[in-house]
Amino acid sequence: MADDVHRIELRAKSIEALRALLDGANLDHGCRPAVRRDGDDYVIEVYSPVAEVDRLRSARSVPGVSMTVIENASEVGRARQAEVGSANRFAARIAPRGLGIKE
Amino acid sequence: MSYLNVEEIETALDTLAGSHPGVAELIALPNRTAEGRQSHALRIGPPDAQGANTLMITGGMHAREWVPPDALVNLAADLLEAHAQGTGLRYGAQRFTADEIRSVVAGLQLVVFPCVNPDGRHHSQTTEPMWRKNRRRVAQNADPECVGVDINRNFDALWDFRRHFATDSRVSASANPCDPQVYVVPAAASEPETRNVVALLDRFSRLRWFVDLHGYVPAIYYSWGFDQNQSSDPTMNFRNASFDGQRGRGGNGYREFIPADDLRQLQDLGTVVNKAISVASGRGYQLEQSFTLYPTSGASDDYAYSRHFVQGAISKVLSFTIECGRSFQPPWNEAEDVIREVCAGFVALCVAVSAPGS
Repeated sequence: MADDVHRIELRAKSIEALRALLDGANLDHGCRPAVRRDGDDYVIEVYSPVAEVDRLRSARSVPGVSMTVIENASEVGRARQAEVGSANRFAARIAPRGLGIKE
Repeated sequence: MSYLNVEEIETALDTLAGSHPGVAELIALPNRTAEGRQSHALRIGPPDAQGANTLMITGGMHAREWVPPDALVNLAADLLEAHAQGTGLRYGAQRFTADEIRSVVAGLQLVVFPCVNPDGRHHSQTTEPMWRKNRRRVAQNADPECVGVDINRNFDALWDFRRHFATDSRVSASANPCDPQVYVVPAAASEPETRNVVALLDRFSRLRWFVDLHGYVPAIYYSWGFDQNQSSDPTMNFRNASFDGQRGRGGNGYREFIPADDLRQLQDLGTVVNKAISVASGRGYQLEQSFTLYPTSGASDDYAYSRHFVQGAISKVLSFTIECGRSFQPPWNEAEDVIREVCAGFVALCVAVSAPGS
């Protein structure tokens, strides 16, 4: 869909480069504006229509920042809704069991 | 198997409490959500809990982060079943002995609040997968985006970001009721979900540790999220109004004071959690301060840790945010792996803080 939000990876050799691109852009930074290290790179994932990030990159020339569209997050989310319980599996009052192995 | 819906989370907690009456207690939270939901937490520990140190773990503050509530229900179920059967617990290669499980349940109060934002989770799971906030309509217009407040920017910890932070700090917060992600107003702790967490924090006089489980990076973050930490100048702190308008830039100006011993304890406990995650899953998380790219205001972990500085009679609460996994809504078989590693980390934390002398 036209307004679908995409999961987009931005990667640079410095936090300053990421800030130069993202400052004031008001993008969705995920849970929190967190940068992770991946080798020598600083990486952040943003959630946005692809066109919005393309416009941002065109407007702000920040060398060394690469952009990779990972997935259509809206589409993935819609598919994932099929993996949500539809009734109440505990309605019979049988307590849940966790995934840990009891030994 | 599948993700728990909001009704299932509530029933799970109720049945766990009913199945383990000597060591588990269901706690009804005082504030109903905008859509009328009643939330519950689960206390696990000795029946006479007055003298026991307390660890509190919350999840589900952000609606689209589906794994945390499931992980916390799993954690409670695992601990209670292992304790009842007299067994240990294993997640991957990470093992905990029966004695360790017994010590945790006998010597520690563990309070688990799996789903702080059930309205948001329900909306994300049934309608808009990328929804983050709660579902209270604050603005009077009919725009569907102009609904909801970011609960994890609504706590009273430098909540008034326009006053406390530098205008160029790019603090992750917004006063726009139509902001889809980080709307913080109309007032600190305005939201029923926020007040439920605060009520739980207030309830336990020996609360010593707090973890807010979110998704994703993956990382273990400790205080502060306001600005980069420093341990040399105690006057440079969030309570000092002379620094209003200067916070949040990082760099060489304002830095947030954190006592060196607190920082060491946070790093030590974070390492305990991370080691267990790594043994369970084969790879660890980042462990660092939560201020990385931009500051945050009004976050739960900073609020929990800030309280004893503001109110001297309150016990110090060392606080973390754990961002688990590598996506908001992994396929369920991948979510199970995240749940196992998170539970390994939490059980390791429980073992560490229930040890004598903690």
